[in-house]
Amino acid sequence: MASIKAENLTKTYGLFPAVRSIEFDIADGEFVAILGPSGCGKSSTMRMIAGLETISGGTILFDGRPVNEIRARDRNVAMSFESYALYSTITVRKNIAFPLDCAGMPRLEIERRVSEIAEKMELTELLDAMPSALSSGQSQRVGLARALVRNPSVFLLDEPISHLDTRQRYRMRRFIKSLHQEYAYTMIYVTHDQEEAMALADRVIVMSDGAIQQIGTPYEIYTKPKNLFVAGFVGEPPMNFLPYEYDHAGETIVIEGQVLGLPEALRADAAMIGPEGLAAVRPGFVSIGVGSSVTLDATVFITEALQDHNLVYADIGDTRVCVETAPEMTPRRGEAVKLAIDPDHLLLFPRDQLASDTEL
Amino acid sequence: MTYALENIWKRYGLTTLALKNINLTIPDEEFLVIYGPAGAGKSSALNILAGIAKPTSGDVLRNGQSIIFVPPEKRNAAMAFENYALYSHLSVFENLAFPLRARHMPDKEVAERVTAMAEMMGIAHVTDRRPGFLSGGQRQRVALARAIIRPADIYLLDEPIGHLDAKLRHRMRAELKALAEDRKSTVVFTTTSSREALALGDRVAVFNAGKLEQVGTPAEIYHRPANTFVATFVGDPPMSLLDVVPQQNGDSVHLTLPGGRSIGEAPASVLGGVIEALQVGFRSREISLVDAGSPQSVSGMVATTEQLGYSVIEVDGIAGQRVSIPTPTDGSLKAGETVGLKFDGSASHVFVNQRAVFHAGGAF
Repeated sequence: MASIKAENLTKTYGLFPAVRSIEFDIADGEFVAILGPSGCGKSSTMRMIAGLETISGGTILFDGRPVNEIRARDRNVAMSFESYALYSTITVRKNIAFPLDCAGMPRLEIERRVSEIAEKMELTELLDAMPSALSSGQSQRVGLARALVRNPSVFLLDEPISHLDTRQRYRMRRFIKSLHQEYAYTMIYVTHDQEEAMALADRVIVMSDGAIQQIGTPYEIYTKPKNLFVAGFVGEPPMNFLPYEYDHAGETIVIEGQVLGLPEALRADAAMIGPEGLAAVRPGFVSIGVGSSVTLDATVFITEALQDHNLVYADIGDTRVCVETAPEMTPRRGEAVKLAIDPDHLLLFPRDQLASDTEL
Repeated sequence: MTYALENIWKRYGLTTLALKNINLTIPDEEFLVIYGPAGAGKSSALNILAGIAKPTSGDVLRNGQSIIFVPPEKRNAAMAFENYALYSHLSVFENLAFPLRARHMPDKEVAERVTAMAEMMGIAHVTDRRPGFLSGGQRQRVALARAIIRPADIYLLDEPIGHLDAKLRHRMRAELKALAEDRKSTVVFTTTSSREALALGDRVAVFNAGKLEQVGTPAEIYHRPANTFVATFVGDPPMSLLDVVPQQNGDSVHLTLPGGRSIGEAPASVLGGVIEALQVGFRSREISLVDAGSPQSVSGMVATTEQLGYSVIEVDGIAGQRVSIPTPTDGSLKAGETVGLKFDGSASHVFVNQRAVFHAGGAF
């Protein structure tokens, strides 16, 4: 087991800065997800932790000791990749035993460890199968077993379940979580899938453009996103954004010509952001036709009946808003509705944070 | 146009059976979603409807007439392929214009249509680029746009929004559903996502290993799954299934956990024949979390909790007997802790040997 710290960690490829002076602290036994879109620098960060990539600047420390100069195989880091990269010509048993064989471990000890991990990973019946006979979920578990059989002090997972179907993903999520609960590995889980990150991790590091945007518990990141990027990237269905103009005198904001009173708590934010901004609210904190101080007239675009809840997409002028409702609520296309926004969950952001290619 | 697949078998090589006796009718103007895991036969079914693949046996009907010998270009089907299949030497604009020009549409109208479609798909700013200079998500939207830009008798969309991020996926889902309604189109759409299937389909056909497990409205496959595969493959989280033993009580049977607690009831008449497996299922809304030891509750041990996701609870301390519920956001649930569970017996689903025999609560 180990704690991991990054200080001013930087990676450049030629002139391109892939990771720009990032800092984080991961406690011993903690489960941290690094979340971001492709090209955000998350995989480069992980590869530097593993020792598979040289460090361009800054330091990585394991338990307080710099590991910049320590070779990958001496860091006791296990890694599991999206592509399971199993050896196709040898059995599952030999695949799992491979890292121990390489380390020159005695045969009896290898056998003991392989059967132990196989049982834990529900692979005992498959030990003599060849990789080609396995389903993708099974191959994934063999890949994990091979990574774990060495008792690593740090366990890195790179998009380990992104290509599995809904049910297999759900099973693997449960499985990875139980592994962490049982063995308390320090785990770093790299993914572009916000749902996995928010479900699995104790804390999430959100990255974009080579920089850290926010570090926090899933709940903090969900309810208190620091900036527009985090607000828009995290959450499914995604956050609603409504452009507004601010009227300082009346403490109100105007959205698509409709005036909204601002809750007390947001007045300072609004004043700081200035005359124009973006109001943000999650679909779960908007309701239809319920009395509230904050309501907006909208026209229903479409209703999706997801059975345990519904999603209603409605247009306030040119701004489309997604609303999560009870399954009984099924407004029709074109119907006029009143949207009530929960003022405790309304957030305001400056518009200039909007990256040019962000599509809202 | 109404389409039908009749007794369709599809074999690849000598041993791979991609489709096993599929019978499926797609009424005019229906939005049908084919939902299943990888390798279920979803793409094979689409390709057979398009005429790109021939079934090994069986027939494809359009308004009751066999079209098995009608070549793909004469079927007036518009298809979006999973691998996009864009023209790499043409700009996005020309890719979208292609199906319109092929129908000799005047230039002015072509430009109008392409611009409107690009706007709707959020790709208006890349129309002068060639596909090689687009991101994966942009390419996928071009492929979808090219398929739906022209009128067609049937739209065949093979996982057309699977590679988009959450924001775009939701936006495209709403646009697609509205467009299909407006145009009164017949659409067949494949996916591996339960949410997409429920959100989009007028009906959903659940495929598994080449077989059609069930076809029905989203409410039917969600609330009245035909078997345990559909029950656990549809929904998020999937339906929780618990092994139970029957306790006869007059005309009805109490379904009890090994510990003796009854968690459901069914008419005795539905439990005929040899019972190898008896399970009762609950949707997460049909299970409520109460204090440990509450009256009428069953004890459970929290196996895993996800912060913003699901918690898995082992029922009655029996390994493998587990239920999934959304994790309460107040952080009150901790792994290892004992909780009470209440099952809504008026909403249970009973499965004998993996087949549904009874759904309590007729309304859905």
